[in-house]
Amino acid sequence: MAAQPKPIPAEYPSYLKGDPIGWLNTIDHKRVAVLYGVSALLFMVLGGIEALLIRIQLFEPNNKFLSAHAYNQVFTMHGTTMIFLVVMPLLLGAAANFIVPLQIGARDVAFPRINALSFWIFLSGAAFLHMGWFWHHGGLPDAGWFGYANLTERQYTPGMAIDFWDIGLLILGISTVLTGLNFFTTIVTMRAPGMTYMRMPMFVWSILITSILILLAFPPLTVGLIFLFMDRFFGTHYYQAVAGATPILWQHLFWLFGHPEVYIMALPAFGMISELLPTFSRKPLFGYPMMVYSVILIAFLSYGVWGHHMFATGMGPVADATFAITSMLIAIPTGIKIFSWIATVWGGSLRMTTAFYFALGFIIEFTIGGLSGIMHASVPIDLQQTDSYFVVAHFHYVLFGGVMFAILGSFYYWWPKVTGRMLNEKLGKLQFWLTVIGFNGTFFPMHFLGTWGMPRRIYTYGAGMGWTFWNQFETVSAFILGLAFLIMFINLLTSLFNGEIAPADPWDGRTLEWSMPSPPPAFNFVTIPEVHARDAFWARKYGSTGSRASQAPAVAGDPPNTEAAEHIHMPEPSFFPIVLAGGLLLCGLGMVVAWWRLIMAGGAIIFLSIIGMAFQYPTFGQKTHETEAASGGGGEDLRKVGVWAFIGSESVFFATLIATFMVYKSRNLGGPGANVLEIPLTSFSTFILLMSSLLMVLALAATQRGDRVWQRVWLCGTVIFGLIFLGDQAYEFTSLYGHGLGFTTDLFSQCFFTLVGFHGAHVAIGVIWLSVLLVASFMDRLPKSRALSVELAGLYWHFVDIVWVVIFTLVYLMQKVKGA
Amino acid sequence: MRARFARRKFSGLAPLGLALTAVLAGCQKANPPMDTLAPKSDFANWIYGLFVEVTAWDLFILLIVVVAFVLAVFVFSRRDGEAEAASTVHTDMRLELAWTLGPAFILLMISIPTIRTIFREELPAPPANSLKVSVIAHQWWWEFRYPGTSIVTANELHIPEHRPIWVSLRTADVIHSFWVPALGGKRDVIPGQINHLWFIANTPGEYYGQCAEFCGDSHANMRFRVFVDTPEQFAAWEKNQEAGPVQPASGTAAAKGAAIFANSPCTACHTITGVSKGYIGPNLTHIATRTTIAGAIMKNDPKDLKAWIENPDALKPGANMPTLGLRGPELDNLVAYLESLK
Repeated sequence: MAAQPKPIPAEYPSYLKGDPIGWLNTIDHKRVAVLYGVSALLFMVLGGIEALLIRIQLFEPNNKFLSAHAYNQVFTMHGTTMIFLVVMPLLLGAAANFIVPLQIGARDVAFPRINALSFWIFLSGAAFLHMGWFWHHGGLPDAGWFGYANLTERQYTPGMAIDFWDIGLLILGISTVLTGLNFFTTIVTMRAPGMTYMRMPMFVWSILITSILILLAFPPLTVGLIFLFMDRFFGTHYYQAVAGATPILWQHLFWLFGHPEVYIMALPAFGMISELLPTFSRKPLFGYPMMVYSVILIAFLSYGVWGHHMFATGMGPVADATFAITSMLIAIPTGIKIFSWIATVWGGSLRMTTAFYFALGFIIEFTIGGLSGIMHASVPIDLQQTDSYFVVAHFHYVLFGGVMFAILGSFYYWWPKVTGRMLNEKLGKLQFWLTVIGFNGTFFPMHFLGTWGMPRRIYTYGAGMGWTFWNQFETVSAFILGLAFLIMFINLLTSLFNGEIAPADPWDGRTLEWSMPSPPPAFNFVTIPEVHARDAFWARKYGSTGSRASQAPAVAGDPPNTEAAEHIHMPEPSFFPIVLAGGLLLCGLGMVVAWWRLIMAGGAIIFLSIIGMAFQYPTFGQKTHETEAASGGGGEDLRKVGVWAFIGSESVFFATLIATFMVYKSRNLGGPGANVLEIPLTSFSTFILLMSSLLMVLALAATQRGDRVWQRVWLCGTVIFGLIFLGDQAYEFTSLYGHGLGFTTDLFSQCFFTLVGFHGAHVAIGVIWLSVLLVASFMDRLPKSRALSVELAGLYWHFVDIVWVVIFTLVYLMQKVKGA
Repeated sequence: MRARFARRKFSGLAPLGLALTAVLAGCQKANPPMDTLAPKSDFANWIYGLFVEVTAWDLFILLIVVVAFVLAVFVFSRRDGEAEAASTVHTDMRLELAWTLGPAFILLMISIPTIRTIFREELPAPPANSLKVSVIAHQWWWEFRYPGTSIVTANELHIPEHRPIWVSLRTADVIHSFWVPALGGKRDVIPGQINHLWFIANTPGEYYGQCAEFCGDSHANMRFRVFVDTPEQFAAWEKNQEAGPVQPASGTAAAKGAAIFANSPCTACHTITGVSKGYIGPNLTHIATRTTIAGAIMKNDPKDLKAWIENPDALKPGANMPTLGLRGPELDNLVAYLESLK
């Protein structure tokens, strides 16, 4: 890959050029990233205003600036907005979306349409959260960002606000899981030739692990929100202390999501810092392998620490001690990262840019947040500090001093690549110092207030509490912080119109995104680069020894190869994502206002868009960047990897439902319980479903042989067996209802119907999927070359069957054994 | 046991932590009433000791990080940014081992006292000779009962010093959290579950508490007080509380107020022994012995009590107590009656 220093030919227009309508149907990862970035910045303004309202209210004791109810809405929306609508979209939707394909040498993400879909769903979820504003009985959500049950039950929070919050988060969850699925598949399958896992940039590593966290952590939240939905709409009792249920279930489900969520935000930030520090120190990242293992270890441990949010709930000394130790263990890989970052800077040749300032600031601020985290891992100390301002200080040091500093640094770092303009460094440094002063001034005194006993989430406090001075100090500092952000926005806007034109490689970068023009062309790389070393672009510029003496730096840019560029097939833009997201919005709205026509209309739009997207799907017969990219990376087909990742996420979903069922089954008080289940009938359905898996295998074999007749026969058989199973289930539900086991009869029945019902819905989706294939088969559009389409449906079908085997064993058989 | 625990503190580091806490405490002229660094019970003391110890370790780590950071950024690096880096070293086995094992050792040092304190503080059953107190949290006030006696009071808890207090926590509605910083850590109050907390208060005095788990509109107004009494004071208080309510002398304003109370909707929610049997609101049998009202957000004097009865929702948003429309002399008499209930 000898890089020839030649200017980029004008015939490759930047991705920003083109029809404005093109922003609505775009599926270019870079445009989607810009859409994410712009929306997140707008929400950042909103969340920032909410923060300032909080600070104004707390300026003095017994302040009447906001009412209690208004204050509760403001702090709830501040947390929800900053986490779901600002930090996550900036890290994943904007930064990772833009940078990861460029860093791994890909033309786009694995599923560009799904990527656009993620964005539009995100936007409709974000709109949804705020919709209560427009209803008389609405208002904004007001139960805190972790919305503890049973306060969120209709009995204690009537009105529509919590409904909007619940369904809004479900919608945002769909968007995030799709994003995680997409990035996971992209990184696994679409790396440029030669980019082994241990040659991936650290940012790519962090996004890979974050994607896994998303896939495995969001299902518990989804399940928790579905339970809340059922409690509020269908009268179940998942979180009410009746019939043996307990509101603590919500806390387990929420924090099982919530703690990995912290790392979903922190790991990409770690990745950013690991890009910024080496670039501006002109040194390779120190201890790369250890950095990689630390990220993996942090992600792994993050699943075992959710209980440290619940030390005050009385879990008992053994659970408390266990969670204390697992929580402390996380400090070890985190410490490795901090020391390795310092060692990266050590002995470097530093270029003191604004981006580097923020990266350096990150090290200190994040360390402070990490150290107060160690205090919280010590259970007795946590019993004093939890739910006090000490915790507020802690997580702002992690999420602002850590994550937001990384985001701000990355803004200055990648802005030239995204827009083709430089940001003003003078304003940048002014912003940095104001941020440091404002941030520490706002949040450090919260440590004092916390140790002096100020609880969080109080809209007012008495004059004699000794909290007044530091609250006033914090409010003033918060406005300084607001000023810093104002300067940032001025800098961004002036840069767009008057900024200095950015060269391709303004920072003497190390990774592949700097090898292309700023801003890059729509297809990114003219020819997919070959990678021979970590810091691929640096090695290309200076040789793999990293010694600059050997060679003058080459001007960045791919060798122009017009012929190659003409053969790049980028997938066609699509309006289906935005339409589908609109359908989801209608559907959700219909649920909240209980207007079934709206639900039906939304559902129809969603269904038709999915079918439309499936048939528009580029791999359906076209050679595209995706088939091209399959030669690099792991060599696995990306659709297969995508389906496996989806199945992984679904497994956690069912595991959560099953775990809830098992726990609540044993707590069930009264009611007919499991005794009315009919084993013979269910054994028959189980047999039918297992046989359908066999038929599925035969259908795949027939497709691979190119045998169209048997392909149709076996596919048809699978569909029929699936339908028989569903028919059996419908009969079973009716007969159970006849025996007096309704949905809300008791704890057992609500868990039973939820679990088995969700499985039935999955079978129904499988039947629809197979039916579509059957139609394709009868239209002679399922030849041997598309055996993968059958294989993917088969993977899903087998997964659904396996889940049934588990359900049949745990729900039906074990129940009977216990009864006998 | 306690002495051993104290000796285990790292002698070299403890002063550092103490210095910081001293600075923290010194910033205020008087101790803030909810200060967690002014322990007045054994439970709070254990936590305080642990806090000092962990703070010391934290400061020690922070010092190392800051020194390394300053050296890396300001001493051992060049600032020209264009020249070749002074070093391209990107791995060092010994260093990496050091910053893996070093923190691991520190965590071990923290986890041992942590786990000991956990098991000491979370007992499966009440300790011997303990006084049992039952706490029932409501949106947004606290009800205190003393099992084995007829005492039911609200928002002000009286306990004797130097005797184990075994607190059982229940809630009438949503999740709350019971927290008196001077007497120890908090414990959530959860529907369908009875949580426990125990401590031995060691200094008589009045301590502030507050609900620490967000519980709806007036979460901020769900405060309470704990009075740690000498055994004699406590016995006297107990005796008074177990007696029936004061009967106002006929013809006084209080007597008129008693009649108003007995015929008002107040009786639906409030109990005054022998007069009414409401249980939704606080028991008023001895309301005049309390120093505060309305979840300890207001003083218990005729002026505040009057303002409260006139419009509860204005003072405690979302409060369940309705505005009854009592005015003028009627209200004055009612307040006089309530203030006579010593």
